[in-house]
Amino acid sequence: MNWQPRNKTLGVINTKAGNLFSLFASLKRIGFKTVQINTSDDIKNNSVDALVIPGQGRFGQVMKQLTATGLDNSIIQWVRQDKPLLGICVGLQVLFEQSEEDPGVRGLGIFAGKVERLNSPKQPMVGWSKLNSRVGSMNEKVVYFVNSFGVKQSAVTAATVTYGEQFVAAIYQGNIWAFQFHPEKSGEVGEEIIKQCLCN
Amino acid sequence: MSMQLENVNNGLIPRVIVCLDVANGRVVKGVNFKGLTDMGDPVELALRYQEQGADEIVFLDIKATLENRANALETVRRVAQNLSIPFTVGGGLNSYADVEQFLNAGADKVALNSAAVKTPDLINQIAEGFGSQCVVVAVDVNKDADDDYAVYVSGGHVRTELDAFSWFEEVEQRGAGEILLTAMHRDGTGIGFDNELMSKVAKERNIQVIASGGAANEQHFVDTFMAGSDAALAAGMFHRGEFSVQDVKKALRQQQILTR
Repeated sequence: MNWQPRNKTLGVINTKAGNLFSLFASLKRIGFKTVQINTSDDIKNNSVDALVIPGQGRFGQVMKQLTATGLDNSIIQWVRQDKPLLGICVGLQVLFEQSEEDPGVRGLGIFAGKVERLNSPKQPMVGWSKLNSRVGSMNEKVVYFVNSFGVKQSAVTAATVTYGEQFVAAIYQGNIWAFQFHPEKSGEVGEEIIKQCLCN
Repeated sequence: MSMQLENVNNGLIPRVIVCLDVANGRVVKGVNFKGLTDMGDPVELALRYQEQGADEIVFLDIKATLENRANALETVRRVAQNLSIPFTVGGGLNSYADVEQFLNAGADKVALNSAAVKTPDLINQIAEGFGSQCVVVAVDVNKDADDDYAVYVSGGHVRTELDAFSWFEEVEQRGAGEILLTAMHRDGTGIGFDNELMSKVAKERNIQVIASGGAANEQHFVDTFMAGSDAALAAGMFHRGEFSVQDVKKALRQQQILTR
């Protein structure tokens, strides 16, 4: 992609599942322009360069909102056109087919697999942990996790983490990056990861 | 030794948390919750500790009043805009609507203390509405003459009849994501955390336990993490400039305790 943050507008999908303040603040600090996406038209009208699915809320709640607004189809179309997409936490999880958090709710199904309850020593997992990754900007980096659910295995894994058991910390394919951790809460390291993924 | 210690926390890094006790928009420090001294501007201090490598910032509005609410929300907003690490806010949160206000102002989590004791169902409601990860229950305990731990509310002024250990269990069952456990009998003493208590609660409970009260040097952090605390919080030793967060992290690394 070879972007510079300053030239690019990120469309942050309003999943109505929590507070997006930290995410917007973080993206702005990196230097991106940001716009909140409530409907499909918001994507077209704002010449959005990349979409972001934020990390607040639960699987069923987020999917319900995406389905109600038709943004589920917009995201799938966006991905088919090979445009950049960033998912955070539950924003990673909804890219898969289903979740034990809300059985019976269909995910976006962009990737095969399901989200499972993690066998964490303490639940929810809240805290900093070290990544294991083939991606230089992520390997051995310590980032902030908040979750009880996750994807245990995936063909598109870009990083893993171990807390009780190993699970997927990041996925990558084509122009899609998604993180189980919260890069927007992971200090400079997290902001650097977002920048590297979207600007390289 | 190193492997063993890495497993102390099962892969999570023990968090060094800096607490900003805020009164009327200024960071203050008191001894045993009394005698407040001005320590500086909350935003400036929060950013300084982030730069030093703090793993989280806790902001406790210790003189929270309704009249001062707008002021507190504005301070939270200013901190949240600038901070890129987790940020917990507590003090004077009495209802679901209060919590919502502070989360919308940019807090990542809220710490409930007196309100959780008065209306325990509030824990369930917030966990359901925003997720367990948002709910930290702050518990102030004091060691009685007979060596029992009593739970106090209202900034440590009012003793309750709660059994401390049953209360820890109850807050976990109601959906709290973490317990911020302050040993009032250690607060401001500088003799270290009550590790006997912290160790017991951290081992018994299936949620994260943040040790608080009594830290005055880097060794106190080493000791409490060795005892099993998931995180540890201090205020005065950092605000007074006696130790930086880097000093604490360095001491932890020397003992092969994971840091970031």
